[in-house]
Amino acid sequence: MNTIDESIKNNSPCLYYGNRLILPFHAHFLKVIIEDDILTDFSSSSKGINIKEEDDFTSLYFLDFEDLKNSVSKYESIKLIVVDKGKNIFDIDNHRKVAVYLEEKHKARIEETDEDILFIE
Amino acid sequence: MIRKFSPVFILFIIIISGSSLFASDGTTAILQAEHQLPEPLMVIPFIVLLLMIATGPLFYKHFWEHHYPKIAMGLGLITVLYYLIFLNDTHSLLHTLAEYLSFIALLSSLFVASGGILIKVNKKATPLLNVLFLAFGAVISNVIGTTGASMLLIRPFIKINKSRIKPYHVIFFIFIISNIGGALTPIGDPPLFLGFLRGVPFFWVIQNVWYIWIPTMILVLAVFYVMDSLNKGNSESETGKSFSGKIEFKGLKNLLYLGIIILSVFLDPAVLSFVPSLAPLPFGIREIIMFSVVYLSYKNADQEVLRANEFDFEPIKEVAYLFVGIFATMIPALQLIANEANVLGDKLNAGVFYWATGMLSGFLDNAPTYLNFLSAAMGKYGLDVNIKSHVQEFVNHDEIYLQAISVAAVFFGALTYIGNGPNFMVKSICERAGINMPSFFTYIIKYSIIILIPIFAIIWYIFFLGKG
Repeated sequence: MNTIDESIKNNSPCLYYGNRLILPFHAHFLKVIIEDDILTDFSSSSKGINIKEEDDFTSLYFLDFEDLKNSVSKYESIKLIVVDKGKNIFDIDNHRKVAVYLEEKHKARIEETDEDILFIE
Repeated sequence: MIRKFSPVFILFIIIISGSSLFASDGTTAILQAEHQLPEPLMVIPFIVLLLMIATGPLFYKHFWEHHYPKIAMGLGLITVLYYLIFLNDTHSLLHTLAEYLSFIALLSSLFVASGGILIKVNKKATPLLNVLFLAFGAVISNVIGTTGASMLLIRPFIKINKSRIKPYHVIFFIFIISNIGGALTPIGDPPLFLGFLRGVPFFWVIQNVWYIWIPTMILVLAVFYVMDSLNKGNSESETGKSFSGKIEFKGLKNLLYLGIIILSVFLDPAVLSFVPSLAPLPFGIREIIMFSVVYLSYKNADQEVLRANEFDFEPIKEVAYLFVGIFATMIPALQLIANEANVLGDKLNAGVFYWATGMLSGFLDNAPTYLNFLSAAMGKYGLDVNIKSHVQEFVNHDEIYLQAISVAAVFFGALTYIGNGPNFMVKSICERAGINMPSFFTYIIKYSIIILIPIFAIIWYIFFLGKG
């Protein structure tokens, strides 16, 4: 199972189908931003997002969206603040700010956000 | 469905109008003289739309996000059909369509052109730096408009403050750069430009408003400074961090596009006689240039800059849809208000003009509000807002009314998210950056009423109470 850093370093592919985003790692999710929706409720009763952890990947279902491709444009990304499973969530240094860019043929690319990208924790 | 409907709808309006119906210098005042006033009940679609804009993102976000284009267009269509069928008044509709196209051409061109410019400021955020930044933005908004300044400066402002950003930073940005700052020139804010087109000299605004603008700016910035000084945020985490103090620009070629937009603002037959009028079309050379800038500046933009700015058309699309509804549904409200203002004109003093123009500008579009109250104020002297020499005579006669109307139309646009075009766009950009912005009501209650209204009351007390 990849860590977040390994996924970024190895350019591990992500996938998306409809409102589902598939990430190649397991993580604790702290904040997700899609368009102008700021999601921080990741409980099972959340109305905005449903997170399902599988053996080798994690699926994020964006419940307010029918098709991610119609909502996230070429220069936009889905932003995540995540912590690797097993790492200390209370240590801010372990918080990873990543951006997921949607590409063609259901593929998505994951990058650590640089200083240029506006992303407030 | 809406996307298919929109051009058909516009075409329909143009076709049924006939070539002689669209007069480029037609005004609401003239239209009222020629046409019957609408039923007061026809303000209901406007009120419903305002209420839905206010409550939608709060109480039924999911439904609102999916259906706001249909709701805005549908409510607008009610008003359009009422004017077509019951009042047989195509003049008002065409006039509004022309104003809308002009509005959206300016906003979209500034939005796209400034979206291709990246400003990086590597400085430590302090209350003083923020005050200087906001003051700089206020001055700049008189050169590139409140929309251009907002789009250009909101990202660097957030980046400077990224470790301590709070919603009040953005709210004061909206207060100062998106609204109050732009009160000094006709380029600053659309109502002043409308006044310029009618005959108010270009430099009249700065000559007669600067001494109201400066104390207002000082008061708002002082409140900001106090609030920002109390915000320690995470600034401690930046204590050991070194800052180069450098300011970097990328995508500078888009400054050329911004320049073209600013210059094209003057390409109006009413300003430069050699500019051809495209009447009966509801747009002119200016709008064609602006829409061309939208295309060219996006096509030729630096991809890295667009990525860094996370450029997306959604914020301008949202403004375009909501304001098509607002422009259409507010026609009856503006005509009824203009009629009341004309009837009561003699009894209104500068203070009443200040508050009435201001409060309505906070919720209606401030450009037609400005024009209607200018018309009412000129009516006190038997002058006509449609005659340039009358406007100039009015300006020389007594500046207090024009001062009150100009200042209020610009300043009070900061009262709500819908008071001015850039307010909504700034909010949307900030939410995409992860900043939880206050709701429509929280903005009004927590910020506008508590901070702005007392400051505006002081301005009224000093400059307009008992005058005129």
